[in-house]
Amino acid sequence: MSHPKLASLFNQNEARVDWHDKALWFVRHKRDLATHQVKGWEALRDLGHHIKAHTLSNLDNYLIEFEKNALENGIQVHWAANGDEHNKIVHQILEENQAKKIVKSKSMLTEECHLNPFLEAKAIEVIDTDLGERIVQLAKEPPSHIVLPAIHKNRHEVDALFQEHLNTQPCDGDPQYLTHEARKHLREKFIKADAAITGVNFAIAETGGFVVCTNEGNADMGAHIAPVHIACMGIEKLIPKQEHLGVFLRLLARSATGQPITTYSSHFKRPAKGHKMHIVIVDNGRSEQLGRPDFRASLHCIRCGACMNTCPIYRRSGGHSYDATIPGPIGSILSPGKDLTKHSSLPFASTLCGSCSDVCPVKIDIHSQLYKWRQIITQNTKQPFIKKKSMVFMGKLFTKPTQFARIGKIARWSLRYLPKSIINARPNIWGKSRDLPNGPKQSFDEWYKERTKK
Amino acid sequence: MTVGLFIPCYINQLYPQVGIATLELLEKLNVDVVYPSGQTCCGQPMANSGYENESVGTCQNFVENFKDFDYIVTPSGSCAYHVKKHYNILEQTPNVTKVRNNVHELCEFIVNVLKVTNIGAYFPYKVGIHKSCHGLRGLRLGSCSELVGDHYSYIEDLLKEVSDIELMPLQRADECCGFGGTFAVAEEAVSVKMGKDKIKDHLESGVEVITATDTSCLMHLEGLINRNKQPLKVMHVAEILNTNLTKLKSD
Amino acid sequence: MGSRTEILAKIKTNKPNLIETPIIEPQVFDEGLNLIEEFTKKVEAVGGQVVPITYEMDIHTEIKTLFPDTALNFSTLEKAISFNTLSLDNIEKPQELEDLDVLVLESPLGVAENGAVWVNDTSFPIRVLPFITKHLVLVLGKNDIVPYMHQAYDTLNDFNFGVFISGPSKTADIEQSLVIGAHGALSLTILLKND
Repeated sequence: MSHPKLASLFNQNEARVDWHDKALWFVRHKRDLATHQVKGWEALRDLGHHIKAHTLSNLDNYLIEFEKNALENGIQVHWAANGDEHNKIVHQILEENQAKKIVKSKSMLTEECHLNPFLEAKAIEVIDTDLGERIVQLAKEPPSHIVLPAIHKNRHEVDALFQEHLNTQPCDGDPQYLTHEARKHLREKFIKADAAITGVNFAIAETGGFVVCTNEGNADMGAHIAPVHIACMGIEKLIPKQEHLGVFLRLLARSATGQPITTYSSHFKRPAKGHKMHIVIVDNGRSEQLGRPDFRASLHCIRCGACMNTCPIYRRSGGHSYDATIPGPIGSILSPGKDLTKHSSLPFASTLCGSCSDVCPVKIDIHSQLYKWRQIITQNTKQPFIKKKSMVFMGKLFTKPTQFARIGKIARWSLRYLPKSIINARPNIWGKSRDLPNGPKQSFDEWYKERTKK
Repeated sequence: MTVGLFIPCYINQLYPQVGIATLELLEKLNVDVVYPSGQTCCGQPMANSGYENESVGTCQNFVENFKDFDYIVTPSGSCAYHVKKHYNILEQTPNVTKVRNNVHELCEFIVNVLKVTNIGAYFPYKVGIHKSCHGLRGLRLGSCSELVGDHYSYIEDLLKEVSDIELMPLQRADECCGFGGTFAVAEEAVSVKMGKDKIKDHLESGVEVITATDTSCLMHLEGLINRNKQPLKVMHVAEILNTNLTKLKSD
Repeated sequence: MGSRTEILAKIKTNKPNLIETPIIEPQVFDEGLNLIEEFTKKVEAVGGQVVPITYEMDIHTEIKTLFPDTALNFSTLEKAISFNTLSLDNIEKPQELEDLDVLVLESPLGVAENGAVWVNDTSFPIRVLPFITKHLVLVLGKNDIVPYMHQAYDTLNDFNFGVFISGPSKTADIEQSLVIGAHGALSLTILLKND
């Protein structure tokens, strides 16, 4: 279903929209408080932007450097051209280690590759260990936000879900109780896990190490207990030097949740004695996006989710209305590059207000890219007949001032004299909930000419 | 100083009073204003809908009408932004570059070019400012809540000097109203919800009149206000700045 | 190896011309922080506590007063024999640390701007320790606090695994309500040493 259809379904429950909007606006507000405290915040964003732009312009060499250093560190490195290859690599590693029980911390990449269903079909248990991800996993839903996966669920829904799956007591949605029950439940999973899968926030070419950021500590609980750690990363996660982490770790959590830094910023460089460490480097359409100059900067994204929290449309339509792995503004510029037809409504799910570009910690020109995708979509996918015809008509009309004046006169007359019941009837979608202005007798143009005559 | 006045298509047809207020205001400020009669539209409605190519003729018509002016002034941040930002689809002839450089939104023109903030207007009402997005985040007509920096706002600079006006604070100072051109119909449900929320913010702050640099946002909000019979009026900032003038004339 | 060659070739074809690396100038961000004050403020803001100690004090005695009734304690600091009720010599798998109550580690580095404290696995033999313990106590010298992350990275060189820890484990995944103690430590105490 298209975004407007799913969004209008979401809007059938206005109280829920209000609740969702406020919950996310609260996060945006916390982000504001945190960022406005940082001297040189805008300079920091500039640095983030330019380090990423530089990295992309030398990405092949940095990947080679990273691989070399990682191998020297005793990490095994794998390369996957697409999601399917990624899943097969992960499965093969698991098989080699006879791993049947897997704990996974948050990784949008594995969502993108649909790793869970792939492994589950091979009788491997995959448990998402981030609390929000575990909630949506139990609910058999995809995450609706990249940082707050269960933001669309209220506490009572979580309560019910935990009663059903974790045998918890009814608690009137007490987050404290529910979180501690989840801690007990997942502690057991950590202890018994044969392998841990994590994402990667930053991979450092210079050191061959990588950084994973969490607040819960779930990535570490998984990776340090299980004998095998598989870290999955998109090629764009690379940064050249360790000193660049100073920039990105300052930007990331402040933009994401308003924290000065995540609770845990874990730097993995070499596997622990007796443990194995693997990295799977995944392309899956990224190198193609790199080849699109207008959209290349979308690969700067550090997955903070700030553009979602600030987006007035995201807040009022919910993450699931985007029907894409990454929802919200950043998803709307990434997804069309993967499947233009499927995601053709996403770049239009925006007023081009530009707030996303201004909160972005790495200064991706998100709203400009939305505009550019629109141009490509109208030329390459099937468009509603009426929309297309009216655009062509308007384009012609505005080249002919006299004709424009004549049509304007008719429109004004209609607005003035036709009954509201006719004006607001279908196909006037505007009129469903909004009045149109009354048609004035004179246009400005007519008034001006009359005045000049006097 | 001669200024070419650009009156956006929908203002021309549906809100002529905004055009009139803009013209009178500029004349009061001793600006020689010319309204080129062949003008129609800046091309934005097609371009933002993804039909940039269909807007080329419209853009050329704009350039043709305004190429001889050192200043092009318009009561719309959105249209001015479109000319500046998206006229890269035209061949960058000296005329195109000139037009792109010379286009100004009304408030910014008055504050930055004419260097005037007190116009002697009188408006004894509680006013809420709607900071239209394209003017704000596109043209940077004021500081944006997302960015870290000092506060400024051209529309506030002008309205603060209006006698007896009371500017009311909002919970969300610069959130979008949900108009967004064809977004308003393509994403009807979200657009309407955004507009309703915006109006609620103004009402809760005790606002009597919502004003903005862009009539398009106001048309959307007015549509909701009228349908829901809410105690609010909308006026373009030019109309407020021109109040005293009109009063003097009718006296 | 998978599709290594193919991926690298595609990147090479599609990447833009080389763009220069920007230079980080940390002085741009310098606001003359009072390091101890800022550090303490930030640790408290993220749910931890800072306890000042002097060098005459016996650290483990101080910790015992903070956590009087804990059963399993482990410290990597010197003179911990009477404090430690757990010996790592008998630990074969990280899982066996599950019931650890208090872990004490020494940290070489704290960051004022975010209250983060660095520990790396040269100071703790089993990596899961600072995560699996119920209460984490980090001992940090007052002079080892730097203002920003930029200065912090200047000092980090040799480690196999290291982590910046800022406060106890937490989550807000249920309706944005902050709950302390998700999977990692339920509390974080920083003993700030006057040296």
